Amino acid sequence: MKIGIIISLFLLAFIAVPLISLFGASDLLSSQKSTIAEMWNSTYFRRVVFFSIWQAFLSTVLSISVAILVARAFTRLPRFPFRHLILSLFGLPLVVPAVVAVLGIVSVYGKQGWLPLGENLYGLTGILIAHCFFNIPLAVRLLIPTWDTVPEQHWRLASQLQFSSWQQWKHIEWPALRENIPSIALLIFMLCLTSFAVVLTLGGGPRSTTLEVAIYQSLRFDFEPTQAVILALLQLVICLTVALLATRFSKLPDVEPNLNSHQNINQVQQSLGDKITQPLFIIFATVFVVSPLLAMFIDAINGPMLEVLTDGKIWKATAFSLFIGLVAASLSLFIAWFLLNASAEASIKNKPILSQSMLLSGSIIFVVPPLVIGTGLFILLSNYVNVFDWAIGIVILINGLMGLPFIIRTLGPAIRQHKMQYNKLSTSLGFNAWERFKHIDFPLLRKPIGLSAALVATIAIGDLGVIALFGSPETTTLPLLLYQRLASYQIPQAAVTAAFLLAISLCLFWLLEKVIGGKHAEH
Amino acid sequence: MPYLKFSKILVISIFILLATFSNAEIKPTLNVYTYSSFTSDWGPGPKVKEAFEKECECILNYVALEDGVSLLSRLKLEGKNTKADIVLGLDTNLIANAEKTGFFAPHQQQLKNSSLPEPWTNETFIPYDFGYFAFVYDKNILKTPPNSLKALVEDKNGPKILIQDPRTSTPGLGLLLWVKKVYGDKAAEAWRKLSPRIVTVSKGWSEAYGLFLKNEAPMVLSYTTSPAYHVIAEEKLNYAAAEFDEGHYQQIEVAGLIKSSKQQVLGKKFLSFIQSETFQTIIPTTNWMYPASLSSDKLPEAFGDLVQPKQALIFNDIEIEENRKKWVREWLDALAN
Repeated sequence: MKIGIIISLFLLAFIAVPLISLFGASDLLSSQKSTIAEMWNSTYFRRVVFFSIWQAFLSTVLSISVAILVARAFTRLPRFPFRHLILSLFGLPLVVPAVVAVLGIVSVYGKQGWLPLGENLYGLTGILIAHCFFNIPLAVRLLIPTWDTVPEQHWRLASQLQFSSWQQWKHIEWPALRENIPSIALLIFMLCLTSFAVVLTLGGGPRSTTLEVAIYQSLRFDFEPTQAVILALLQLVICLTVALLATRFSKLPDVEPNLNSHQNINQVQQSLGDKITQPLFIIFATVFVVSPLLAMFIDAINGPMLEVLTDGKIWKATAFSLFIGLVAASLSLFIAWFLLNASAEASIKNKPILSQSMLLSGSIIFVVPPLVIGTGLFILLSNYVNVFDWAIGIVILINGLMGLPFIIRTLGPAIRQHKMQYNKLSTSLGFNAWERFKHIDFPLLRKPIGLSAALVATIAIGDLGVIALFGSPETTTLPLLLYQRLASYQIPQAAVTAAFLLAISLCLFWLLEKVIGGKHAEH
Repeated sequence: MPYLKFSKILVISIFILLATFSNAEIKPTLNVYTYSSFTSDWGPGPKVKEAFEKECECILNYVALEDGVSLLSRLKLEGKNTKADIVLGLDTNLIANAEKTGFFAPHQQQLKNSSLPEPWTNETFIPYDFGYFAFVYDKNILKTPPNSLKALVEDKNGPKILIQDPRTSTPGLGLLLWVKKVYGDKAAEAWRKLSPRIVTVSKGWSEAYGLFLKNEAPMVLSYTTSPAYHVIAEEKLNYAAAEFDEGHYQQIEVAGLIKSSKQQVLGKKFLSFIQSETFQTIIPTTNWMYPASLSSDKLPEAFGDLVQPKQALIFNDIEIEENRKKWVREWLDALAN
């Protein structure tokens, strides 16, 4: 447990130190400091706070509700055609840089799109579509493993009692989901709260301004680091409040969960209504998620493919992106492993607050914008070293830590359950840490480990926020290359680059899940 | 065992990471902070580097940030610890703010054959290119574009437009100043009139231009030089910039030498190189702007067909510095309520 506390403190320091260093910098530089009171009194500011929370709340509720239906359908249809491919595709939206996602969504819902919404797209509608596009697939991926934890006896009992679909949901599935939904919802809430380019561009104008925009603004044209820090802290407070509400709502299952996923959900009776609606949910979600991605690929096919793909730069950028992604994922897994084990141990020893605090420390990094953390670190480090020599290391570190919130959702519940079942066994066998990992932990946890690695690696590959801070032309990643093309009129070339980025991420996602997760990783 | 392979990959990765940290250099290095579309393969950066390194016996090292605004904020953050010798890519909206920091040394250069419409008097920065903001449209879709800013604002049935946010983007700020220049105290009212025809206000130029190419609106805020890209690089003749009677708001991009830099001689050499014909002829077809000191007969042919603004509108840089926040707030209130 000690190691978990140390990691937690490190994570908190990692957030606090850049904020403090930014705060320090502002005293020397900004001439007109706006006070907190002044900010509170401005209607603009209050509207920004309200709108940030409101759109994040709506996006979260919508994404989670749809995702539950879809994930439920997936678990009932293990042999659905192209199931594995669809679930791999569901890993993609998180990789897509915001600009590209906006263009993809406009290809589908824009004036000349396949499902034209006209100008109604710009406003809350556009924001919700984009956030659902990003978060429904993520939530589905995170929710599916929960069904595996339902003990087989439950399904057998349900079958004997001839539970209706609603009764299955109420008595079996909901209690199992209650542990995970709040933390997944929190993650999605944070993602939407900090959403920026999507909200601004699809939001239709300054009416749709989030706190993140305000932070960006105060660090750029206005150059008021104090204000940026205050806004970042406010964002943090909002998230902590939501986190607190989430833990209230969260309830651990009363029964011993089951990790030997021989459970057979199919032994329960499926009503006719279910048999018809389940595939429809999957088809609807797949069409919704895949259509903007498909639009991107079609744009790419119409674009100058040969010109872009024969350019050596794209391959160099790919190699560099893959390197960052893989190292960040390894780092993230490494830290998460100790943190989650410590948290699970605390939970078993009946210290729920300590256990939850550890998880929270790994989650909140997400809320502080990378621009703030990066800039803060930059000021701090530039006092001691040549920051540019350390750019790659810092990029990997921030990306790795940004991945923690995802791993906490994928691996966290599994580790906790695993520990409850096998702690005594491995102690009695007298294994050392490595033997234990090799013979007990890894074989049973490889599925969630595979998913975690795949998620974090692809997210790091899609990162633009952190890498753009350091900006050495030698360290160009794929998203940066894409952005440079977009910024120099080369929009067709950018489309090809975007599709290539997606293809690479898809391969990586599939490969990591397969290699680490083992044969039946998709279930 | 797959996880053993995984740990091997990890170890190898760490070694590569360490290897990238050790990088020996012998020649003097000139660090140039600039924006990333300058240093990209298709931007001016690589050609400028090659040409300058031929004559300077040095290494030209770029640090590429997002855009001009991030250059200035980065400089303020780094303060005395900055690694920059030259900052290239600030524009007229940022000059006063940049001078106030006291980080820059006077350029001490004789300005050579300036092609700017007005004489350049600033003693800190050297201009390297300039352009005019304009609404770009597709001639096949929009047959009669508005011929003045007033026509665009007043005509309730006028074309819809895509613009950028002045809080996050340079062209966005440019339009705000353009409207201010033309409408003065009545700017807020003009924005309210224009508001129903603004399809969306994007974070940056790329998003808006991308949406324009997807036909989300018939007009987009960009530059008078934008059509030249489509002519030269894509051989497409259907894009044009609408000429406005009031004139077009101007943007001048500049470079400056950092006072605390140890490369004063090399830095001055670079500032002089910026005005050379070598540098200036690279600019038009890579940065898609007008070079600041090159006679017009040396411009590519497609530049001859571009809109020539009747008047270059520009605020004095101190005026911008004093009023920018107020004006942005006014813009926000006009559009957000």
